[in-house]
Amino acid sequence: MTDGLRQSMSSLHTWGGLLVGWILYFIFLTGTLGYFDTEIDRWMRPELPLRSSAISAEETVERGLIRLNDVAPAAERWRVELAHRGNDTGAHISWRTGRARDGAPGVFGYEPLEEAGTAARRTGGGQLLYQMHYRLHYLDENDAAWIVGFCAMSMLVTILSGVICHKRIFRDFFTFRPRKGARSWLDAHNVLGVLALPFHIMITYSGLVFFMFMYMPYVLDEVYRLDETSQLRFFDNAYPSEPEYPRRSGAQAPLAPIEPILLASAAHGGQLVAVAIHNPGDATARIVVTRAPNTVRSAPQRLTYDGVTGEPIEAPGAAPAAQSAYDALIGLHEGLFAGPFLRWLYFVSGLMGSGMIATGLVLWTVKRGSRQTSGSCVHAVGRLNAVTIIGLPIGIAAYFWANRLLPVDFEHRATWEAHTLFGSWAFTLIHAVMRPVKRAWIELPAVASALFFLLPLINALTTDRHLGVTLPHDGLPGDWALAGFDLTALAVGLIFGATAWYLRVRQGHALSETESASLPVMRPRVKVLR
Amino acid sequence: MTLFAYVLVYSGLTALCLAMNRHHRQVRKGPRRKAVCISLRVSGWLILAASLLLACLSASSWSIAAVGWVGALSIAALVLVALLPWAPRLVGKLALAAPPIGLLGSLIA
Repeated sequence: MTDGLRQSMSSLHTWGGLLVGWILYFIFLTGTLGYFDTEIDRWMRPELPLRSSAISAEETVERGLIRLNDVAPAAERWRVELAHRGNDTGAHISWRTGRARDGAPGVFGYEPLEEAGTAARRTGGGQLLYQMHYRLHYLDENDAAWIVGFCAMSMLVTILSGVICHKRIFRDFFTFRPRKGARSWLDAHNVLGVLALPFHIMITYSGLVFFMFMYMPYVLDEVYRLDETSQLRFFDNAYPSEPEYPRRSGAQAPLAPIEPILLASAAHGGQLVAVAIHNPGDATARIVVTRAPNTVRSAPQRLTYDGVTGEPIEAPGAAPAAQSAYDALIGLHEGLFAGPFLRWLYFVSGLMGSGMIATGLVLWTVKRGSRQTSGSCVHAVGRLNAVTIIGLPIGIAAYFWANRLLPVDFEHRATWEAHTLFGSWAFTLIHAVMRPVKRAWIELPAVASALFFLLPLINALTTDRHLGVTLPHDGLPGDWALAGFDLTALAVGLIFGATAWYLRVRQGHALSETESASLPVMRPRVKVLR
Repeated sequence: MTLFAYVLVYSGLTALCLAMNRHHRQVRKGPRRKAVCISLRVSGWLILAASLLLACLSASSWSIAAVGWVGALSIAALVLVALLPWAPRLVGKLALAAPPIGLLGSLIA
């Protein structure tokens, strides 16, 4: 009975995994890069000032408020938004005059705070790279969400069936036996899957939760109707954008100093994200400090203070349980709460997921390749594996190259950066089709190695944000976000180089073995000829 | 202290791993005693539990620390799995060296 179940789960795992494996690898790898989206953003905008010379968040807020007082003293609302994860436009101020709630068309104003922010080159940056994992770039947003949803659901099925058909999940927990052919690939696949299993299940399930109202619209239909206006009403109820603030009284009152308020808000933890002031200069002024969440829940903390006395005002009650669960799942997926160290853990876990998918795909061909009857189908899958597993990193490296090599004033820069990614990926497909599969598996990692390894060099030749400047030197602290990018590129280049070298040596061995094996067959023939 | 807690995870996992027949043989030749295995297994679970507790209590947000602990578990296990076939002598040494280094690291940071 259990053997029957295991067998059927095994087939489901093998074929279900193969069906969506290539797209899943794309989703996992680009999504993993998303944990460093702001760092990639900064690297792709080398005109921005170095972090070591940048001013503190509190100082930026004060500067922003002074500027707002100059440009819009009579505004209904001021807002200073700092540079943070999820804000790719950089620090800026915005304001609104006229009450939009009364039906009067409010006037909105916007101004960047960092001068260089506007002068930076046009680029999709890390944001575009990370958005690819659910938008699939060229596709319509809705279609992409459905495709990604189908793949995520298949992933969940594949993970669970994989756990069931794994024979010794605990006995083999730490087992990896290198140089044993298909056995090693299976070990690697198991280890990468089992060791990061909590991450894999969490990321897949929460990924589905992201679009749950889209995948399961009939749940909403029970209470709200399916048409668009009712759905908007639902989202208004579920995610109230802002509480009601008191109306302007007309009595003038000076604004409380912002510094002690920011200091008081720091006790709640989480990074400072934005400061908004309602009715500035009025007796009814309210200061709302937004800080990044200090729990895994994705909802940011909104702390309200009286704008004149600076006293904290009671926050509304906690969200209902269902909403908290939803926020926690979304928060876990995005990892916006994570500091640099935790984001490295996320990053490595994501790479383990990509590696699990990659080894699974390779395992499919290795198992069938060793049989005598390995046909063109196995070769085709082998080629597509090389194109996906190595070709996508090549495309991503080309994306970064394009960022440095395309002319800075070229109008469609951002679009063509993305075209370069997919164009060079397409080239790897042509390459893999033209070359023997085994050669492709050596040549593609070699190309990837060169592209990543030379990236810091290209960076040094085209910008002044290279390792000589970004690493700590001459007593300066250095800029680890930028230096980290270059160092990671070097490390990735080394890993691909080692892969190419290893595969070359091993295939050389395999070749000499087959040659020596065929010798005894040759000898008698030579004798006959004599 | 959170860093110390995360580093402890490796030592705990190593203890659990070396309590297993197959991996014990990878690291050490000769027969193994039953008492050693049991004490390795018990101390392994205790270290893991202690590190989770320490991580959650020392961080400003227990939920974030718990997420980090699970991540540390995956990566420590990955390091261990890579060391076992390629550098088996390092496995035990690293498990012994990790706690003092981690403690020093979190005191400095």
